Amino acid sequence: MSTKDTRVELLQGTLDLLILRTLLLGPAHGHAITRAIEQSSDDVLQVEQGSLYPALHRLLKRGWIAFEHGTSENNRRAKYYRLTPRGRRQLIVETSKWETLAGAIARVLRPA
Amino acid sequence: MTDPLADLDSEIRDHLEREAQEHVNRGMTPEAARSAALRKFGNVMHVKESARAVWIPAAVDQVVQDLRYAVRMVRRSPGFSAVVILTLAIAIGMNTAVFSVVNAVLLRPLSFPYPERLVWLTASEAGDGFELVGAQDVIGWREATSLDRLVAYDEYDSRVLANGLVLPARLASVSDDFWDLAGATAALGRRPLPGQPEVMLSYAFFEHALGANPAIIGAPVQVGNRRGTVVGVLPPAFHVDLVPPASFASLAPHEIDAYYGIVVRPPQNGMLQLFRVVGRLKPGVSIEAARAELLTIRTRTAARNPAIPFKPTQRVLPLREKLVGAARPRLLILLAAVAAVLLVGCANIASLLLARATARQKELAIRTAVGAGRARMLRQLLIESLVLAVAGGATGVLVAKACLEVMRRLIPQAVPRLLEASLDGRVLAFALAVSVVTALVFGIAPVFSVWKISAFDVLKDGTRTVSATAASVRVRSWLVTGEVALTLVLLCGAGLLVKSLARITAYPAGFVPQQTLTVTVAYNTNGMQNTEVRRREYAAEVLQRIQGISGVRAVGMTTNAGGRLRMFVEGVTVPMEERPTVFHSSVSEGYAQAIGMRVASGRWLTDREPEAAFVVNEALARQVFPGEDPIGKRIQVDGPPGATAAAGAKFGTVVGVVANLKYAKLDTAAEPEIFADYRHANPFDMTFVARVDGDPRATAPDLRALVAGIDRSQPVSDVKTVESVLIDSIAPRRFTVFLLGTFAGAALLLALVGIYGVIAYSVSLRTREIGVRMALGAARGDVMRIVLRQGMVIATVGLVVGTAAALAATRVMTGLLYDVTPGDPATFATVAALVAATALAACCGPALKAARVDPLDALRCE
Repeated sequence: MSTKDTRVELLQGTLDLLILRTLLLGPAHGHAITRAIEQSSDDVLQVEQGSLYPALHRLLKRGWIAFEHGTSENNRRAKYYRLTPRGRRQLIVETSKWETLAGAIARVLRPA
Repeated sequence: MTDPLADLDSEIRDHLEREAQEHVNRGMTPEAARSAALRKFGNVMHVKESARAVWIPAAVDQVVQDLRYAVRMVRRSPGFSAVVILTLAIAIGMNTAVFSVVNAVLLRPLSFPYPERLVWLTASEAGDGFELVGAQDVIGWREATSLDRLVAYDEYDSRVLANGLVLPARLASVSDDFWDLAGATAALGRRPLPGQPEVMLSYAFFEHALGANPAIIGAPVQVGNRRGTVVGVLPPAFHVDLVPPASFASLAPHEIDAYYGIVVRPPQNGMLQLFRVVGRLKPGVSIEAARAELLTIRTRTAARNPAIPFKPTQRVLPLREKLVGAARPRLLILLAAVAAVLLVGCANIASLLLARATARQKELAIRTAVGAGRARMLRQLLIESLVLAVAGGATGVLVAKACLEVMRRLIPQAVPRLLEASLDGRVLAFALAVSVVTALVFGIAPVFSVWKISAFDVLKDGTRTVSATAASVRVRSWLVTGEVALTLVLLCGAGLLVKSLARITAYPAGFVPQQTLTVTVAYNTNGMQNTEVRRREYAAEVLQRIQGISGVRAVGMTTNAGGRLRMFVEGVTVPMEERPTVFHSSVSEGYAQAIGMRVASGRWLTDREPEAAFVVNEALARQVFPGEDPIGKRIQVDGPPGATAAAGAKFGTVVGVVANLKYAKLDTAAEPEIFADYRHANPFDMTFVARVDGDPRATAPDLRALVAGIDRSQPVSDVKTVESVLIDSIAPRRFTVFLLGTFAGAALLLALVGIYGVIAYSVSLRTREIGVRMALGAARGDVMRIVLRQGMVIATVGLVVGTAAALAATRVMTGLLYDVTPGDPATFATVAALVAATALAACCGPALKAARVDPLDALRCE
């Protein structure tokens, strides 16, 4: 791990937002979601892959995502998660919340 | 939606495989790729638990796990579990059965609307045995502002003549307010109209006796000796709790088959109607206020009816109190006794669990070592106890059902409302509550032993720690000591009751109720003239014919039906109400010999007395003629108390005195009795008594056939032995003895098992010590003595504590005892000897086993 100093731990609660954002592009199975998060953040964000699953179940319980069984590229059965209309609305809320927070932190760190 | 957790395992496996595949694609070896994937994933177990925790609160999840584990533990030791569950099933089952009786008798409301406002009324005082109310008081009380309903009624066994059939039936005559008071509706037809001779049938009677034919509505019927019209049928569930005549107390309870409307008429021509009375208080009126008002009204009524004797006594009781008040102390004692059995059972189970907890120390220590918190372990142990208790409780409900059935079949008349007992919601809730409380009680013991566990010590040692096991033996010894004490209390209670029963049924010489048959004819004159003569002729013929049956040694007749009359002595003037009330029977010459009555002085009656003659018993002689010789006195008996003189009552001479004999009711003191020769009386219900040789059951059918054949129009009762009548008269007592005896027996058995368990366990722990002792020269006898002494110390302490407790506890039972004092030394000594012998027997097995220990083996094995 010491060789990848550029990597940062994920902030508490932001994983939910990232999952919702990823699923906006289309349904995906668990492993694909992790990879997408890692890749789209240029491997900067480091998710302990397992923590994805409790997060997925949290979102399922809130009704923001749903799942169905499908077959993956290499003909393997997999569980595909997708965004629900409620999840889509929630993503907008969460995104604007995040931007507000990020902006506020940025202003604190670099006062004008 | 399908269960989101259903394929969590395969999903995670899939994830790991994909991750590993990516690593392999980058050139890693499969093994390295796999471990890299796992590293990146994190703790799989933890992930799974967190995902589950989203849906199932963690606490619930853990409880489910504990439950599963507990069920597995129960299954893994089937012998242990079976013993525990069986003990609990029997103890909880007996508790549930007794509670279901308490529930039906004492807790469930009476079957009336506004049951709490119902009162039972009589004009007589307690202990007088006379509970009827004269018509003049019924009419007067109707004006009472404290009552909103008043019902005059009577209940008796007779016949219904309908559709050309003669049907034996229990009848109730009821005044107008009855239908409102009972909240009765008609399932068929309508309710009777006020003042009309209209009849309402019970559904069961309508269905079973009349084939459920609705044509009966509107049909003329004869009910007893009244004619009327059937106007309706009551719903199947209709039931009322009325106070039955005292003479019904010894009979099996029976629902009323037909009700007919009566009118309460003021007394005229010296004829006075008598009724049983129940009333309903107006809302908000206290029973004291009602008492005061009712007495005022009676005093006023008495002033208007100077011919009717008046005494300013009365009883107004809540109807429930009148119905079940007498049963309450008995039931509460039984409830306490059966709870004690459960406690003994709990002590046994706690003792077993303690032994097992010691054996399980290692398992528990490992669980502690891998991070199970103390709270979690306690919860798990309690859940294990709970699983056992609930399994025991569920089986116990089945046991309760069986027990209840036995009680109801065996002695249905023992407790009023017993037949209404059932396992309803409240009883089941009770069983559940008892199971849970039980689990907490016996589950506590192993919890304590866990509390002190040091995982380090146990695991380091590898074997059971000696000090912990010694402590466990000590605790178990105390538990068993408690069991012995409780058992002794129960046995003393049961013993005193058994002794009472033996005292009661110790019959005087000459009285052989087992060999004496009775049959009763409720002689019906069917509108004949000259009824007195007809009755006497009938009686004489029956007596003569019975004499002819082979095996009959003596035969007699009596009219005793529990009737009391006022008696007065010629030349002694006392007011009517101060004349003694006495039991009165008209009897035949053969009666004394047939029933086994002993003449104390003078002579018995003959069938050829020139004028009315009387014999009195010793109780009467003592009460009415203290210090005098009753023989030669001229006396007369009159109509029932409260009634005016019966026509034609004559004075007669007392010719003899007989010893007191309890031939009808066993557990009361002998009452003053007077016997008149039937030739100078008007015998109503005639009871024929035949002393037979050989098996009375062989003669019984002949006897009944013969009596029934003499006049087919007369209703003839079943033939019973006098003994069965006597036994029925002490039904409540037998019920208590039977149950308390069963409970005490169960407790003794449990104590036996408990002592055996502790001693056997202790011997198994001391094998090595015993080996050493023997190697050093102890003889087998010495070893046995050591083991026996350990058991007898437990028993002796238990006996001492138990005797002290029993001395206090049996005092509560004074009211149930007969001719025995609560602290009866003989009973206590017998019981103590029985318990000591049981304890000794329980120790014998382990003692013999200890004596057979081979010192070489014992020393080698550890």
